[in-house]
Amino acid sequence: MAEDVFLSDDLLRQLMSVGEVDLLVGMSSLHAANTVSHALDEIEESFQRNFVRQRVVIVNVGGGDNDEDSARAKGHDNLAEKGVRVPGITSLRTSHRVAANVPGSPSPGIALRTILAAADLLRARACAVVSPAASNLTPDSVANLLRPVYREKFDFVAPLYTRNKYQGLLARNLLYPMSRALFGWGIRELFSEEWAFSGRLAALCLNQDVWHEEAIQARPEAWMAISAMASDFRCCQAFLGEKSQATKGLGRDIVEVLRQTVGTLFWCLETRQSLWLDSGRSQSVPTFGPAHELTSDPTDLDRHRIFEMFRSGVTELEPILSSILDPETHSEIKSIVSLEEGKFRFKSGLWVRTLYDFAASYHHAVINRDHLVQALAPLYRGMTYSFLAEHSDSSPAEMETASETLCGEFELQKPYLMERWKAKVEVKS
Amino acid sequence: MRQTILRALEQVYGNLVHMIAEFLPRFLVMLIIIVIGLLVAFVLKYILRALLGLTKLDRVSDDAGASRVLRMAHLPPMTELLSRSIFWVTWIGFILVGLSVLGVAGLQEQISRLFQFLPEVFVAILILFLGAVIANFLSRTALLAAVNAGHPSPKILSWSIRFVIWILAISMTLEELGVARRTVISAFSIIFGATMLGLAIAFGLGGQDLARKCLERYLGDTKKKEEKEPQPL
Repeated sequence: MAEDVFLSDDLLRQLMSVGEVDLLVGMSSLHAANTVSHALDEIEESFQRNFVRQRVVIVNVGGGDNDEDSARAKGHDNLAEKGVRVPGITSLRTSHRVAANVPGSPSPGIALRTILAAADLLRARACAVVSPAASNLTPDSVANLLRPVYREKFDFVAPLYTRNKYQGLLARNLLYPMSRALFGWGIRELFSEEWAFSGRLAALCLNQDVWHEEAIQARPEAWMAISAMASDFRCCQAFLGEKSQATKGLGRDIVEVLRQTVGTLFWCLETRQSLWLDSGRSQSVPTFGPAHELTSDPTDLDRHRIFEMFRSGVTELEPILSSILDPETHSEIKSIVSLEEGKFRFKSGLWVRTLYDFAASYHHAVINRDHLVQALAPLYRGMTYSFLAEHSDSSPAEMETASETLCGEFELQKPYLMERWKAKVEVKS
Repeated sequence: MRQTILRALEQVYGNLVHMIAEFLPRFLVMLIIIVIGLLVAFVLKYILRALLGLTKLDRVSDDAGASRVLRMAHLPPMTELLSRSIFWVTWIGFILVGLSVLGVAGLQEQISRLFQFLPEVFVAILILFLGAVIANFLSRTALLAAVNAGHPSPKILSWSIRFVIWILAISMTLEELGVARRTVISAFSIIFGATMLGLAIAFGLGGQDLARKCLERYLGDTKKKEEKEPQPL
C-alpha cells in the first residue's frame, strides 16, 4: 500500500497492536501543547458516552521526537486506563491512542494523509478530524461528526456553526456561494478544522496522487469534500455549536487565508473541470441539527481602514488587475473606487464577475497563480466594506436572504465563467 | 602569337574546369551535409518536444512567469521555443560545417570564430531572459506584499527591485559578451554601492525620526491589523 512508504515503523507497530476499529478520531497536535490533553479527554468522554460498544482509536499526529505534544499524547494514560469513568456510563471497549511522529513540522496535508493511512489500515468505518486548539471541542461535537457517518452511512460530514454575523465573510460571500453554484452542493463550511468521513472515502483520497500539491498541503478538507462530490458519495452537514475564534494555525492574515482557501478552490476547479464545467447538477445537502445560526454581537472593526486598503490596493495593482480582469469588469471597479466612502457599494453582480474573471485567469495562468490569488485581497476588502455598510442594521434573517440572492447570482453568471474559461487568452502588455 | 593566346586560353579554361571539378564535389558534400543536418534537426526537435512535454515544463514556466514574458514578446510557449531553438541551432551548425567543407580561404577562420562566440551569445541571451523573468516575478511579489501590508509607497519599492535586477542582468550580459568588461564592472559597483550608501544615509541619518516612526508603526500595525478586520473563516 502507498502508506508503507511514509508511515514510520513505530507507527505501523502501534497500528498493528490496535487492530481493526469502528471509529477513528485524528488530530494534529503541532503547536497545541496547552490544549491537546483537554482535547484527548473530550474525545474519550465522547466515546464513553456515545459509542460504548464500538472499537475506537485516537490518532495524534505530532512533529518530531522532541515534540512535547506527541510525547504527552503517547504517554498520557487514557481515561479508561486511569480508571476515570463518566458517571453512569461503562464503556465495553478499551480506547486506544496512537501517536504518529512526523519529522519536522507536518503540514495539515501530511497530517491528514497519516490519519487516512491509519484509517485505511485499521479499516475504520467512521473517522473524524478535529483540532485540539478549537475551543468548541466537546464530547457532543465529536459525536455529532461521527454519528452521520457511522449510523446514517454518509461519506462526508461538514460542520455548521453559530457565528457572529460579521465573521466568516469569506465563506459567506465567496467560498460557499461559488462552490455551491459550480459544484452543485451547498456545503457552507468547505474550509474548517473539523470534519468527518467514511472509511471508503479515506481509501479513495489516500490513493490519489495529489499529496505533493501545495493546495492539499495547506487546506486538504475542501479537496476531500469535492472528491466525495465527484464520486457521488453522500455528503451532509452537522451542527457543532459556536464557531471557535482562530488563534493560531489558520492565520488571521487575510492574504494567507486567501492563498490557502481561494487558491485551493481555484485549484479544485482546475483539476475537477469535468465535475462542473458542462454540468448543471444541483444537490441538496442534508443537515443534522439546527441550520447554521447568526448572532448580532457587536464587533469592533475599522471600516475606514478596510475601505482605504481597498482603494489603494486597486489603484496600485492596476497593471496586475488589468491582466486578470475583463476590461469591462476592470472599468466598473475603477469607477466605484472613485466613489465616496459613504456611497460606496460593491454590487453582487460585479463581485461575481470579478471572481469568475479571477478563476478563468487562474486557469489560463495569465500571471503566477499565487500572485493572482494575492491580488484578490484588496477587492475582497472592498466587498467586505460594502457588506458591513449594507448590513450594519440587518437582522440575521435578512442577511440569510441576501446570501441566497448572492448564491443565485453566482448560478446565473455561470455561463459567463464557462465562456471565459474556454476562451483563448490574450496578452495584455 | 595566336598560338600563345590560344595556349593561354586553354590553360585558363583547363584551370577553370579543374577548379569547378574540384569545387563541385565539395559543393555537393555541403548540400548533403545541410540536408542531413535538416533531418537531424527535425528529429531532435520532436524528441525534445516530447521530453519537455513529459516534464510539464510549460506548467513550471507559467508559474514562474516566464510564459507571460514570452507571450508579451509574441514568442511561442517555452516547450515550443526550446524545441525550435534546438532545431535552428542544430541546422545552423550543420550549415556552418557544410560551408567549411567548401574550403574557401578566410571563410573557415570566420566560421571558427563564430563557433567560439556562439556559446557566449546563447549564455548572454539566457542571462537577459532569466533577468527579465526574475525582475518581473520579484517586483510583482514585492508590489503585492507591500500593497496588502498597507505600505505607503509600494510602486517605488517594486520599481526599485526591478531596476536593481535589470542593472545586474545587463551588467552580467555585457560581461559575458566581453564588452568593456572592466568598465561595466566598475560602473555597476560604483552605481550600486553609491545607491545603497545614499539610501542608508538618507534613511538612517537624515530621516531618523521617520525611521523610528516607521518601525513603531510597523510593529504596532501588525497587531492592530489582526484586530481590526473581520475573521474571514
